[in-house]
Amino acid sequence: MTKKRKDLEIKPTNRRDFFKKTAFLSASLIASSSILAPIKITASSLDDPAIIDQASWGTKLGDLVDKNHYGLPSPYEHNNVRRVHDLLSSGDRYATVSMSPLHQQEGIITPNGLFFNRSHSGTTQVDPHKFRLMIHGLLDKPLVLTLEELKRYPSESRIHFIECPANGSTGWRGPQFDNLQFVKGMMSSAEWTGVPLKVVLKELGLHKNAKWMLAEGSDNSEMARSIPIEKVLDDAMLVWGQNGEPLRAEQGYPVRLLLPGWEGNLNVKWLKRLEFSSKPWHSKEETSKYTMLQKNGKAINYFWPMEVNSIITSPCPEVPWSSLKKGDIIEITGLAWSGRGTIKTVDISLDGGKNWIEASLKGLILPKSWTRFSYIIKWDAKEKMLLSRAIDDSGHIQPSINKLIENVGVEGIYHRNPIVGWFVSNKGEVKNAHVRS
Amino acid sequence: MHMFALKQKSFALILGSCMLLASYTSASTNVVLKKNIDGSVIYPRTNTHYSLYLLNKQNISEFNHGRAPTPNEIKAWNKDVMPDGEGLPQGQGSVEQGDELYSAQCLSCHGDFGAGGNGYPTLTGGQGTLKNQLLEAGDQPPMRTIGSYWPYASTLFWYIQSSMPFNNPKSLSNDETYALVAYLLSVNEIEIDGIELEDEYVLTKEKFLKIKMPNVDGFYPVSPERSDLKEQRPPLAQGTRCMKNCKSSNVVFIKNEITGFDPKISTIKDLVKTKNQSKNAAEKEIYSQSCAACHSNDSLGAPVLGDKVAWSEVLKKGVKQVYTNAIDGINAMPPRGGNMELSDKELENLIDYMINVSK
Repeated sequence: MTKKRKDLEIKPTNRRDFFKKTAFLSASLIASSSILAPIKITASSLDDPAIIDQASWGTKLGDLVDKNHYGLPSPYEHNNVRRVHDLLSSGDRYATVSMSPLHQQEGIITPNGLFFNRSHSGTTQVDPHKFRLMIHGLLDKPLVLTLEELKRYPSESRIHFIECPANGSTGWRGPQFDNLQFVKGMMSSAEWTGVPLKVVLKELGLHKNAKWMLAEGSDNSEMARSIPIEKVLDDAMLVWGQNGEPLRAEQGYPVRLLLPGWEGNLNVKWLKRLEFSSKPWHSKEETSKYTMLQKNGKAINYFWPMEVNSIITSPCPEVPWSSLKKGDIIEITGLAWSGRGTIKTVDISLDGGKNWIEASLKGLILPKSWTRFSYIIKWDAKEKMLLSRAIDDSGHIQPSINKLIENVGVEGIYHRNPIVGWFVSNKGEVKNAHVRS
Repeated sequence: MHMFALKQKSFALILGSCMLLASYTSASTNVVLKKNIDGSVIYPRTNTHYSLYLLNKQNISEFNHGRAPTPNEIKAWNKDVMPDGEGLPQGQGSVEQGDELYSAQCLSCHGDFGAGGNGYPTLTGGQGTLKNQLLEAGDQPPMRTIGSYWPYASTLFWYIQSSMPFNNPKSLSNDETYALVAYLLSVNEIEIDGIELEDEYVLTKEKFLKIKMPNVDGFYPVSPERSDLKEQRPPLAQGTRCMKNCKSSNVVFIKNEITGFDPKISTIKDLVKTKNQSKNAAEKEIYSQSCAACHSNDSLGAPVLGDKVAWSEVLKKGVKQVYTNAIDGINAMPPRGGNMELSDKELENLIDYMINVSK
């Protein structure tokens, strides 16, 4: 619209109304206007124009119902997107990670378009007609399944997060990124639909000495990982559904392995082959990468579950308290999660860890799932150092940064789960800061 | 009677799920939960439940889906190589051949002699650096390369053949892969059976099985019997739950601000002006918002967009009159089609668009 008249928002709804209303218009207003303008209510300074004036969208037709055959977010929400940074890539944007905007996520489910995306050679597009899953090795009945055949198994749906073990590593030597998205955005959560692997394996005659399973992807990098049989027969799943629709290509369409609570890279995408053996494979991603060098020069490999962890998501640098007035009541909320079990407790500190208060848990409390916590305060316009500390039902308590570094040094970038949080200035600005003893 | 039975059944169900909840609650107080080898809690899967999720209660387990793979199919996909040499194919290649292949297909990313560059992994050097810790600026960090870090050469063969070169994987023959492995061992100064790998050294399967990588003992072991996994793995570090007057600490802020996020960090909720809008995009949008309700079908007597006959009838009055009618309203049409935000010029452009589409 080239000539939008903001002072003339009230419009007639039909012709009769139109003439009735224009009768009240002053002659000067008509003269100053090139069109027959509608009335203007004299506004008091207390009145909110967003209420007093007709909303522009309320007086015209909306978009055609079939405008987008696949729905899109409001155009006003175009900043709610994943982001990348060249510091986190290995030379290009095929082998890199795009971070999920956690500061704008609600509840415990990530919309599919905002799910963090980590690949080792780009997003592969698998033809579902040519998809085959081969299961072989130490079992009586090796098996090949098409996608259609796989989906004949009875499905189960479960909510689980997936987290890259490098999540949070961007700040282990000291605070680095001044935003939540790059501090903790290497994780997301979805309701996954598929079949437990043990249901498929039950009739294949797994041998007693089948102690390890290789899961291999069909992509350019042939991502491959060794998985101990105890996990395979506990809660591992073959999944094809993500939040009610087929898996996104970025998440391994048409089928990925789901190992609830374990490092993201073990949840092999674009799955192609499962082989059973008596020994582990020592693939590239469990020797050269995804291993953790200790101070003594030795490295941990095969460390699987993501540790108990938590982060305050509001406030955060992207969602500050700068518009609050002293005395305003405001909720501190965030996410807690553990790959070892179910969240039991989350404590909050407002003073950098000197004193702690138990927060409320909100919503569904599920195993190996994001869990929301909440604590409400009255904003006193005084500096705060906010921290959160989670405990799970395996008995694991989040350690301090110092304690973790003392145990494992600073060189392994993986499995960094120390207590972190945000500094809030007396003006309500929020900054990434660490608490060190 | 039937109703009663139903009620009873649902009561039992409610009771059942309460008990389930209670078992988790009590677990959170004192009951020791059974744990898996990774130290995580094992939630029992009963005939009705997995943790709080309900399951199909029918006890069916023989699905009989799919078919057995053929031996050739297994051979085509089973390309992995294990540390003891299982899966390693026959073949041979010299250091010199590997050097040529490296220069042609690997050097652009991994640099001269595997020295790295462009963000891609460094493949050589670093032996003796694994205890380094980068704590202060100027400290030398550890260097994790094939020579200093990789425990097994089998990984090298398997990974190169399945995943390299990055933009053309699965293109190297067995002999070419042997040659590249030979070259990479040679530039890492790794000997086989006490013999240095000179240019003319030819790596074969037999010699490959004798490779011992320098860092083979550099990992906490996971033995095939997994005796080490019988003990559940503890967390890397365990915290304490202090609630009052805990240890005081310092707040550390970001030293150097990082920029360069793509897209840049912003939470502004505004409308983006779309660039390169297609021809008549503005008119199309106005039409769909303000005109389509009546002009897309003839039920209201308005000339339908694209209806040549109807529009030629309208245009008999002359285009000026059509403009005037649209501004003032005509028959069932309100002034400006009811959209008082439209200027005369916008309305005229809109009518021109509708006329053009209906010619």
